[in-house]
Amino acid sequence: MIRRSRLLIVASMLTWPLVAAGQQPAGPPRAVDGVAIDPDAELIVALADDTTNMDPRIGMGSIRSNYIRQVFEGLVDVDAQGRPAPGLALSWKPVGELTWEFALRRGVTFHDGEPFNADTVLFNLDRFFRRNLDRWSIKDVLAATQFEKTYPFVTRWEKVDDYTVRIHTSEPAPTLWDFIGREPMVPKAYTVKNGVDGLNDRPVGTGPWKMVEWKRKTSMLFERNDGYWGTHPLFRKMRFQTIPEGAARIAALRAGQVGLIEGVPPFDAPALGQDPRLKVAASPQKLSCRLYVNGRPKDKYDSGGKDGLFSDQRVRLALNLAVNKEAIIKKIFNGYALANASPVASVSYGYAAQEPYPYDPARARTLLADAGFRDTNPLTLQLLFPAKHYGQSFDEMTPAVAEMLKDVGVQVTLKPVDFATLLQTATKGTLPPNGGFAACRTGNNLDADDYLRDWGAIAMINWAPYPPELMALYTATRREVDAQKRLRLLADLQRQVRDWAPVVALYQEVKVYAHSARVLRFTPLPELNMDFRGVAVKK
Amino acid sequence: MIGLARDQSAALGLIVICVTVLMAVLAPALAPLDPVKNSLVDRLTPPMWNAGGSAKHPLGTDTLGRDVASRLLYGARVSLIVGLAAVVIAGVLGVGLGLLSGYYRGWADDALMRLGDVQLAFPVLVLAVAVLAVLGASLANVILVLGVTGWITYARIVRGETLSLRQREFVEAARALGATDGYLLWRHILPNVLPPVTVVATFSVARTIIAEASLSFLGLGIPPPAPSWGAMLDEGRNYITTGWWLALFPGLAILLLVLGINLVGDWLRDQLDPRMERSM
Amino acid sequence: MRAFLLRRALHAVFVLWGVVTAVFFLVRLTGDPTPFLVDQSATQQEIADARRHLGLDRALHVQYLEFLRSVPRGDFGTSIREKRPAMQMVLEHLWPATVELAAAALLISTGLAIPLGVASATHKNGLVDHASRLASLFLQSMPSFWLGLMLILLFAVELGGLLPAFGSGGVRHLILPAVTLAAAPLAQNVRLIRSGMLEVLQQDYVRTARAKGLAERLVIYRHALRNAAIPVITVTGLSLGFMLSGAVIIETVFSWPGMGRLIVQAVPGRDFPVIQAGVFVFALIFVGLNLIVDLLYTVVDPRVRLT
Repeated sequence: MIRRSRLLIVASMLTWPLVAAGQQPAGPPRAVDGVAIDPDAELIVALADDTTNMDPRIGMGSIRSNYIRQVFEGLVDVDAQGRPAPGLALSWKPVGELTWEFALRRGVTFHDGEPFNADTVLFNLDRFFRRNLDRWSIKDVLAATQFEKTYPFVTRWEKVDDYTVRIHTSEPAPTLWDFIGREPMVPKAYTVKNGVDGLNDRPVGTGPWKMVEWKRKTSMLFERNDGYWGTHPLFRKMRFQTIPEGAARIAALRAGQVGLIEGVPPFDAPALGQDPRLKVAASPQKLSCRLYVNGRPKDKYDSGGKDGLFSDQRVRLALNLAVNKEAIIKKIFNGYALANASPVASVSYGYAAQEPYPYDPARARTLLADAGFRDTNPLTLQLLFPAKHYGQSFDEMTPAVAEMLKDVGVQVTLKPVDFATLLQTATKGTLPPNGGFAACRTGNNLDADDYLRDWGAIAMINWAPYPPELMALYTATRREVDAQKRLRLLADLQRQVRDWAPVVALYQEVKVYAHSARVLRFTPLPELNMDFRGVAVKK
Repeated sequence: MIGLARDQSAALGLIVICVTVLMAVLAPALAPLDPVKNSLVDRLTPPMWNAGGSAKHPLGTDTLGRDVASRLLYGARVSLIVGLAAVVIAGVLGVGLGLLSGYYRGWADDALMRLGDVQLAFPVLVLAVAVLAVLGASLANVILVLGVTGWITYARIVRGETLSLRQREFVEAARALGATDGYLLWRHILPNVLPPVTVVATFSVARTIIAEASLSFLGLGIPPPAPSWGAMLDEGRNYITTGWWLALFPGLAILLLVLGINLVGDWLRDQLDPRMERSM
Repeated sequence: MRAFLLRRALHAVFVLWGVVTAVFFLVRLTGDPTPFLVDQSATQQEIADARRHLGLDRALHVQYLEFLRSVPRGDFGTSIREKRPAMQMVLEHLWPATVELAAAALLISTGLAIPLGVASATHKNGLVDHASRLASLFLQSMPSFWLGLMLILLFAVELGGLLPAFGSGGVRHLILPAVTLAAAPLAQNVRLIRSGMLEVLQQDYVRTARAKGLAERLVIYRHALRNAAIPVITVTGLSLGFMLSGAVIIETVFSWPGMGRLIVQAVPGRDFPVIQAGVFVFALIFVGLNLIVDLLYTVVDPRVRLT
């Protein structure tokens, strides 16, 4: 007896170090790339604005995206290059022409412990398409994107098992993985119990951060979700601080009051880069800024009986050749912008690089003359532009572009308006025949279709509708479910749209961030939101 | 001012004002370059005494390559026109209404004063923002807004003076002799009302010039590419560290002009109505 | 006294009614907020649905009557942008942000003005007098936002973050915006007190008090200042109005989360409920302040008859 117990004691003494080593708490790492980090740090991030809602259904514009996507996630995630990656869904594939199947990730829970599974997805789909809301007795919200109207071909959805969902459509829908997959998922039991107002005020998601406190228009405090399924952020707390003025954000960063700022004006970036305590990081965005000119034919639209002056493709091409994009990018944006001749953003799925529009004022003049506009009959353009809406650089760029158009004989009248008036004019279609407006088009989703659909339907953004050949090609891209074939069709469409020149392409935005050198491994995404997974703060 | 008598300060102020008026009037002749034409190549060149500057642009260029000196000269026009026109509108409106209100009394007087109270209780900037949003921002509309919102001050002063004047003996005497109301208002009451009004108007011009700059700062003033000092200040505020000359010169111009006007106003007040509250 | 108060109360109600009516029609003139709610590729049908959702498709007088009915309840509707009760949003910005700023600026502009003005008057043409008069002149001739920007440049940037340049949350954050806001009223008040004191100090009763051997301090503060206070009260009342609306610019420059900025930002966004609620609160404060100023007059100068 004694020997056995002594044996036990000796055995346990010998094995204790091994057991202890095996039980070493797998806590957060204490060093990254050989540099000691502070796992309990709080990082303060300065943003230009607060979000107005945390319920993803209400809206996901650029600022809101930043807040919402820290807490919520969708089936499809994005990698650092903007390519689709597995998120809450491990994989997705078409099954035949009219069905998509999503295989869901296992072992994921919401911040309050509720498990994520097929029932969650079905509930969310009901919310997107506004079905069965009375069954769940939750309020209907006025959403920015109304799925049932924008994607009426999605018919029904079902669960195959707890981790597999199928969605059926009435026609082929090659981009379903995108518009469904990028929408953040909300918890079913929590939303039913607390209502949509509760979800909006105290959001609960599956994301890497939990929302702890929200002082409206001032700050939002997040805490790391230690139960997160993916790469954890390597610091514990994060505060999003609202600082509307760009100069104030920069001052705060310089003074060490915040650790990272977004929305650095391009003209300030070089000076920040020279500060050894700071680092500047940039990424192209899915934001394309253009001049939309009135190319609507009188028979298709209620244009007051006249063709838009810019319905001739030669005129639009001429305008594209008249703009010296290199000069704009270098001088106004300090290199922080891209010239892109494709209508699709360079970081979208399905983007195919196109031959850039050369800067050729002589040829522009010739084209205009061919179309009938000479010195005796000059082309006029009444250009609306939303001053102080898109930022200082946009406001500087528009008059410069107007001057370039004047140099090829176009008589441009700049009319600054507030953004609401611009929206109203575009929505009501009340641009005069020689009218146009400067605006930037954001892509909310990953797929190129997000951009290409602009000229396919009657909508406020469509001022140069597709001619029949292009319309046929566009329709084909919307029906081709095979990924490789579709990419080829998309490339072809982009080439033709480049030549069709429905808009005057100006630049694609590059978003500039700046942060303290103590913030490690921060990579900006080509998305509207920032990603802090894997980011650490030096001790 | 330190050590100088009131008269000398006022003279200094008058000189500043005259110089500004000359600048404004002679702008086309004096301005070296077109204030509106932009040129990306010349963007943000510093004033000529700095490295990188040139005599072609003595005070440097702005973010679109436009000559700052030329814009400063033409901008004087805008500031002076807005200041004077808005005050004239407010003055004529306010004095007229104040005279009628104080002379005839009755329900019209009550209604007018109530209207004035309502307008005073409405935050001025919100009113300006809303009206400009409706009408659109332009030189004429800015003048209109600043003019129409300013009538109350004059109306109140004039009404007060009219109320006391109408009781005076010379008015009664004139009326006994058969003078009409119009004659009385024009020949007897108005001239007595003008001195305080002049003083208020002078200070108003200064305040209106600052108000126009404030509206431009909020993005509501004279739309680009028109060169107004307020708009130049607004364009320059993002470049305080890298393009300090953009905000400094128009800011200095506003400061000097307004200072000059205030000095002249002080002197006028001493001359015309020393009893008056030194609160303007 | 009671009749006076009743009359003033009725007057106040009338003014408030005038203000809310004016703002109701004015904002509807600025246009339609529905394009903000819908997607870039929305169709006309979707936009019409959104309008109905907001109740904007009903006849104007119907909307107006309902608006008038809900105002006494404090219900100004739901903000179009943030989908929360508009009055709640306005009050959140009023307290503590705007009140803090206005109170601090008021404290600086009157508190500093009294000793400076008195010193100027009693030591006429001395160094303090000349310095404060020169400074007053300059401060009153400067656009407030320019002063604010220069102060930011000096304190927040050049001196390496001595004082924060943004936001609220502590006395340090309050200093720069409050000083900027108080600058012009301070200048005005100093000149006022100085001239008022100068006038009063020459009066007979002051000379009598001095001749009687009363301590100089007593003479100044008990007798002279009391009489010089009247114009100061008027101006303080007016400058509070200025501060509440001038605060918009200061709030913008310093990113101060106050009510003025909320309202002004709501206008381009056509957020009717917020604009209406904000203007109402502003008018309420203004009218209330006027009443207090009138009452203060009776305390300071019993000769004033309340007509």
